[in-house]
Amino acid sequence: MAEVWYLIIGDPVLNGLIALSSILFHNFGLAIIALTIIVRLALWPLMRRQLESTKAMQSMQPKIQELQKKYGKNQQKLQQEMMKLYKEAGINPMGCLWPMLIQFPIWIALYQAIMKALATTPENLLDLAQHLYSWEVVTQAIPLNSQFLWLDLGQPDHTLILAIIVGGTMWVQQKMTTAPTVDPRQQSTNSMMLLMMPFMFGLFTLMFPSGLPLFWAASNVIGILTQYFFTGGWGYLKFRSPFRPAPVK
Amino acid sequence: MKQAKILFFVVISLFALVLVSCVPGGAQPARGWSGTVVHDGILYTGSVDGRVVAINKSSQNLQWFYTITMPSSGMSCGQSPVSATIYGTPIVDGDIVYVGSYSGKVLALNTVARSQDLPFPQTRYGEWEWDCPGTNAGSNAIVADLVMSEDALYLSSSNGRVYSLDKEFGDLNWESDVLHEKLWTSPVLQGDTLYVSTYDGRIVTLSVETGALLPWFFESESGFASRPVVYEDSIYVGSFDNKLYATKIGASELSWSFPGGNWFWGAPLVSEGVVYAGCLDGKVYAIGAETGEELWRFESRDPGGKPVPIVSSPVLMDNLLIVADELGSVYVFDLNAELEGKAVVPLKTMSVGAVVRSSLFAQEGLVYIRAQDNWVYVLDIDRGGLSWKSTLTIEE
Repeated sequence: MAEVWYLIIGDPVLNGLIALSSILFHNFGLAIIALTIIVRLALWPLMRRQLESTKAMQSMQPKIQELQKKYGKNQQKLQQEMMKLYKEAGINPMGCLWPMLIQFPIWIALYQAIMKALATTPENLLDLAQHLYSWEVVTQAIPLNSQFLWLDLGQPDHTLILAIIVGGTMWVQQKMTTAPTVDPRQQSTNSMMLLMMPFMFGLFTLMFPSGLPLFWAASNVIGILTQYFFTGGWGYLKFRSPFRPAPVK
Repeated sequence: MKQAKILFFVVISLFALVLVSCVPGGAQPARGWSGTVVHDGILYTGSVDGRVVAINKSSQNLQWFYTITMPSSGMSCGQSPVSATIYGTPIVDGDIVYVGSYSGKVLALNTVARSQDLPFPQTRYGEWEWDCPGTNAGSNAIVADLVMSEDALYLSSSNGRVYSLDKEFGDLNWESDVLHEKLWTSPVLQGDTLYVSTYDGRIVTLSVETGALLPWFFESESGFASRPVVYEDSIYVGSFDNKLYATKIGASELSWSFPGGNWFWGAPLVSEGVVYAGCLDGKVYAIGAETGEELWRFESRDPGGKPVPIVSSPVLMDNLLIVADELGSVYVFDLNAELEGKAVVPLKTMSVGAVVRSSLFAQEGLVYIRAQDNWVYVLDIDRGGLSWKSTLTIEE
């Protein structure tokens, strides 16, 4: 099973990353950013569906909030009405989950490729030999230069700068897509999630080799840009709910 | 729906992070591959759990052990000490055993003090500990073997410098300039010069007395994977571009380069004008030291016919060449045998049945192998089988 994984996804991503590093002036940081962009482009058809779904949901927000206000005390009725609304608009609310699921193996392969290519331990360096293609552009690039800006990509960044960038960009990206709600409990859960995820990833940034958080940050920035240009603005980042949530009793 | 989506993403993210950081697909845990050495009837090695272990060769009993610890830096382990990893083979001088660890420490352990389990270090017994400078645990790690002269130790550090320590007290004699961002291969001592191979493709020479860079260096387009080997007036070294390089000391041009199918990870062995080199492509190559011409090759394969990488360096025992592949098969070649073509057949084949990455030690008809399953295997080459084995896992 592991062999199939590396043959189809793991090794192509790893060798692509190393080849990119060789092409991009032996700069592994640039290679991570470039590969993130390439993967995003390759997954564009899926991303597009996800964004279209988000955009459609966004445009329906006033109607959804009306329903929430109207049926806020009857959750079952609210769900029924919302599903009816989605059906009428031809939206599958689960539609944006599947593209995300399909992308997941690619993100895992990218993670593994970064960890393998950086070879932070001698075991990893030795293991790397078994996954490399015999392309000159790859063999000439090994071992990779792990310095990028102020970062040693093979070591965690303890300066907090990268953690703030990762957490901040993740918060912006999430805020752009998280719809406000009149249900106070849901609103409180959403608010907690909005803070929890960036905080968690900020914390991970202090623990993982900084090559990985660099990938997260690049991925977040690309996500924000595509979201901005595709949906035509900052989405829910500047969206103010016309409804003031009632205090929880 | 949004809430479910976010929760789903959180759960999947956490699951994936935990998964990929635990399985070999992500970062492999450092377990080390310390080799073995036998001195005055005692076998010394480093275990996979960070212990220096001494075993009596005759009785096969544990003489003593010492656990090297380091503060943990993991996500869940807090700051409680964890055992450090040992990659280098211990070296022994009289009653003192020297060992370097991935935690950046060099230790001088006295066999008498350790047998009595006295608190470390017992300075009256000549024990000391030296901490390699670094900004964090990763950057001062010592991966390479230590090198010993009459009164000093030499070591490469992951911080990119070479150090010389006083053998008796562990005082710093000198430190070199930063030669590369990390040095994982050991220096080679020859006369009053240290030869150091770097991952950016240089062989640099340092003064043994001062650590200053000497004028001669050699530069290649690709980084060097193995430590260099000096034989007569030449240097042999494996490279990340799947080649074995040879150059004359003092020259700026290559003498020759020999192509393999993967990295030459272990240092080659040179004897009587022939270079014997194990390669991660699963082959052992015998190459003319002067010409770079292939004399013979042997390919190690698993039962399924797949090549098995050769990680450790070959060793010589009289006229026998002994090579272990990564899956623990040990091949013995008779170097006096008549060659029939370029493919040779081993005289004997044995197996320890465990992963082998550490350097082998050969003495008096026996080959000592510390395997990754935390056992030491001792093979009797004459009989062609296992003589004895001992676990390095110790219940405290």
